[in-house]
Amino acid sequence: MRQEHTSFSAAAGSRREPGRAGWLLLAPLILWALAFVVAPAVIMLVYSFARRGTLGGVVLEFTLENYAGVFDPVYLQIVIRSILYAALTTAICLAAGYPVAFLIGRAEERWRNLLLMAVMVPFWTSFLIRTYAWVTILKSEGLLNSLLMQFQLISEPLQMLYTPGAVVLGLVYTFLPFMILPIYSSVEKLDGALIEAALDLGAGPLRAFARVIVPLTQPGIAAGVLLVFVPALGIYAVNDIMGGGRVDMIGNIIENQFKGNARNWPFGAALGTTLLVSFAIAYFYVNRRQRAVAQGMS
Amino acid sequence: MTRIFSLVLALLVFAVAPALADEELNLFAWSEYVPQAVLDGFTKETGIQVNYETYASNEEMLAKLLSGAASYDLIQPSEYTIEALVKEKQLLPLDHKKIPNLKNIGKEYWNQPHDPKLEYSVPYMQGTVGIVVNTQKIKHPVLGYVDVFQPANKGRIVVLDDALEIVTWALAANGLGPNDVTKANLEKIRPTLQKWLPLVKVYDSDSPKTALLNGDVDLGVVWSGEAAILINEQPGKFSYTLPKEGAHMFIDNLAIPKGAENKDAAHQFINYVLRPDVSVQISKEFPYTNPNVEARKLLTPAERANPASYPPGNPKLATFRDIGPMSADVDKLFTDLKAKSGS
Repeated sequence: MRQEHTSFSAAAGSRREPGRAGWLLLAPLILWALAFVVAPAVIMLVYSFARRGTLGGVVLEFTLENYAGVFDPVYLQIVIRSILYAALTTAICLAAGYPVAFLIGRAEERWRNLLLMAVMVPFWTSFLIRTYAWVTILKSEGLLNSLLMQFQLISEPLQMLYTPGAVVLGLVYTFLPFMILPIYSSVEKLDGALIEAALDLGAGPLRAFARVIVPLTQPGIAAGVLLVFVPALGIYAVNDIMGGGRVDMIGNIIENQFKGNARNWPFGAALGTTLLVSFAIAYFYVNRRQRAVAQGMS
Repeated sequence: MTRIFSLVLALLVFAVAPALADEELNLFAWSEYVPQAVLDGFTKETGIQVNYETYASNEEMLAKLLSGAASYDLIQPSEYTIEALVKEKQLLPLDHKKIPNLKNIGKEYWNQPHDPKLEYSVPYMQGTVGIVVNTQKIKHPVLGYVDVFQPANKGRIVVLDDALEIVTWALAANGLGPNDVTKANLEKIRPTLQKWLPLVKVYDSDSPKTALLNGDVDLGVVWSGEAAILINEQPGKFSYTLPKEGAHMFIDNLAIPKGAENKDAAHQFINYVLRPDVSVQISKEFPYTNPNVEARKLLTPAERANPASYPPGNPKLATFRDIGPMSADVDKLFTDLKAKSGS
């Protein structure tokens, strides 16, 4: 174990620092990140401590009341609900996406590319158009209801659209590929010999799955969970279109501070900053756990 | 060789042509509100290119305008936003000499509290917010907000996703006016909203007619223009009523913001859309109430009889005033009750 550890750090030490040419190549990326990631985040941070202007906009006077507002029960209930919806979406995506990713990853080469293509094809159409397509399917006089009535399975149209269930369906539909793709890339690298070894050494299929396959594909699972959970928490279009605007999530509240009646930019900025910080904490936590798991295994 | 030369020349001409087009007008207006034919007609007559950028709420417009990221020559705010912009000295005064067609604006649109002499703004379209009912599904009369928000209508109602609108309906149901927005009154109407919001199926400000057309809801409280389209598209199926507890109207206006680069073109455009033959094109596509009385004369009798566009009896209606920082309280009340109203 100790030896392993030294060799690991030795490998890290031998990594070369980028030379001048390297920095030059990196410059566009660094500039891009500074201009479009760091600068907006700093502006948001500054605004979140300011007061609201009469017409919207901000008055640069220091105050903490925006952060007090984030923890006001009115908004806290929506934050909690958003987390629940995002967590449920992530869980369903994981349960539905893992087997698909596993099958694609273990499929024959020619099938694999075709199946991967099938996962990606929806991206060729705008996300909004695909969401409106669900409205056409789910509405009272829509495709699904008329089909069910045709086969006499129901006598009256079911209320499917504008329900919490429709929101979750929309979220799962939107984010499923973001779960499948990273898990797939982990499964693809999975060494089949290890599974065979586990089975040879007496592990049943369930045990082999839980003790060998899951730990080995854990980086993909972690990436998938982050890629689904984070955007699912902030999205607002799906709730508006498929939920009939009834299930406000934190994204709707933030949007409303800038584009709606509220006209309270600093509060919107405070909500945004709080989300950003929670994402950062979640990210570092997942990353550290993953490293711990990787070291524990080596 | 000459062919290549002429090709290059042609390309150059095309590349330079837009830059040479003598003038441009940067118009920042509501989406789905200015017909393309009107923009094309204006360019054809004046040679001025119109760049039409759109927004979906007054607040979105304010956000972009105040950020100073772009310069606009003409904006299209509603009356309470005009009032706020005038207060903050964000609008340029209009030169009435350059807008002779201003005489076509009906006299009831003068003396409005937001801009009594139309010094800063010219009415573009006016509308109301009222009750639309699918009469094939609901047979009894629905005359007021109280009739809409009945337990029997649970899950059959669409309303605007707009905190201030819904709050003013509850104010009306409690015998208060649309501008009586105070903290005490917000507490007073809380129980009313607590009863109402769980009954709502859909909140939609952009296209509330969709849920009605799709059969997902049977009645609602929506913009008059949306109701007018429903009535025009499916005659006899939908009705439109101004709520008996008291209705209010909104007036969308054209105005020139501070820092406009082409004030002349902005004045020309205002004068152009006030011409009856142009103004009537806007009415045909977006059947709100046209404040241009000369243009109204060019409508068909059926269009003038549409109760959503031209409510019978010419009721006298109040407009919203700027409520300043109270907007945050209104929004918070609505956010809270909506979150608690189920799901």
